[in-house]
Amino acid sequence: METINANKVEVKGLSVRYGKFRALAEINFAVRTNKITAIIGPSGCGKSTLLRSFNRMNDLTANARVTGEILLDGQDINAKGVDIVDVRRRVGMVFQRPNPFPKSIHDNVTYGPRLYGIRNRSDLDEIVEKSLRQAALWDEVKDKLHQSGLSLSGGQQQRLCIARALAVEPEVILMDEPASALDPISTLKIEELMHDIVRDYTIIIVTHNMQQAARVSDFTAMMMIDDQRAGRMIEFNDTNVIFTNPKDKRTEDYVTGRFG
Amino acid sequence: MLRKTFETEIKQVKDEVLLLGSMVEQAIIGSVESLKKRDLKASGQILENDKAINKKRFEIENQLMILIATQQPMAHDLRLLASTMEIISELERMGDYAKGIANINLRMGDQPLLKPLIDIPRMAQLGADMLHRSLTAFINEDLDTARAIPSEDDEVDGLYNQVYHELMMYVIQDPKTIERANWLLWVAHNLERVADRVTNICERTVFIATGEMTEIPSSSDMPGKS
Repeated sequence: METINANKVEVKGLSVRYGKFRALAEINFAVRTNKITAIIGPSGCGKSTLLRSFNRMNDLTANARVTGEILLDGQDINAKGVDIVDVRRRVGMVFQRPNPFPKSIHDNVTYGPRLYGIRNRSDLDEIVEKSLRQAALWDEVKDKLHQSGLSLSGGQQQRLCIARALAVEPEVILMDEPASALDPISTLKIEELMHDIVRDYTIIIVTHNMQQAARVSDFTAMMMIDDQRAGRMIEFNDTNVIFTNPKDKRTEDYVTGRFG
Repeated sequence: MLRKTFETEIKQVKDEVLLLGSMVEQAIIGSVESLKKRDLKASGQILENDKAINKKRFEIENQLMILIATQQPMAHDLRLLASTMEIISELERMGDYAKGIANINLRMGDQPLLKPLIDIPRMAQLGADMLHRSLTAFINEDLDTARAIPSEDDEVDGLYNQVYHELMMYVIQDPKTIERANWLLWVAHNLERVADRVTNICERTVFIATGEMTEIPSSSDMPGKS
């Protein structure tokens, strides 16, 4: 029988340095499987650095050095011999600004699967429909799959990017402020679809929008910089606790708008 | 400061709650005073004042709604605004008890009091005093006071029991006094409920300050106590 880990990702003693500057210090927490975990905190506290650590996007930054462990289903993604392409397939990412490729809607969604070797046309069509349905975009684009992805509205483009991320069937989806460039209706659509897909995925979202973190997430991690300007996780708890009765005074001050 | 507007608005709401509280305090003392003096005109005024209490409560509720919608409060702010909503509803109900006492005085018409009122005015004084201090504790988020006040409910309950037994004696000796005894028993009951609701206010203050939603133990159950 297949057992499901309660914790999809476990972070142990994670530090990230850019050259001599330590951006993240001693992060320890666990991301629960099939739950939405929000990372909040003031600008520059290391939220995005932490998020990018989950699929080794920091590898792309010169001088970046990661210590500590990030265990994906118990296996350290930074360990020697780990296939980074495989990590990025299992851990997908959606960015702040919608960034569809200048290709058709269909090609945007099939880009990943093709990269991983799927060539069969009907298989690809099936992936397109499934991914677009999951991203709550299918009904709006099913008659114009061969139009450019760039012809869509901002909100639709972001859902297309989510469909593109879902197409390779990742296990974890990282979202870096996925709705910050969207209007309120498009934002709600993204939040609704997060609720819909979390049954099959594990979602980690970075957001500046406190109400969004409160609305969508099951767990919330609060981050702050310390005296050395290194990002630290100061509180991690049920979202309900963080927004009604946080334990750390700094979390209280942040979520009530006293700073940040 | 980032939250200047919000802080000012919270302070305004708190001031309004204090104002509502003092209206209710006056109503409680005034209703018993006018009963003691059998002053029907004063009781009529209590009924009029109750309309102002209800109006004030709705005004504060509206203010709270606007704050919740526009400021989207979190954490302590959220607990404060949600609890204030509860507290003004407690205050409004306390106002209704005073109104009930005024109505009893009016319904008694020209019949004399069954007995001179001694314990009942003491109950009113105690309840109003507890109410006053509970609201001060609410404003200052004074945990120790909020936790201590509910134990004073025992004294109010003790007075209620005394009034109850005394009135029963009258009824046993002369069953024709039953209606007049019953009126006074209702007055005492209303005052006993005032003190119970003060406990609810104290519980909210503890919740605002700590996030713990628990009952503060006060008196043991007593006959007729809901």
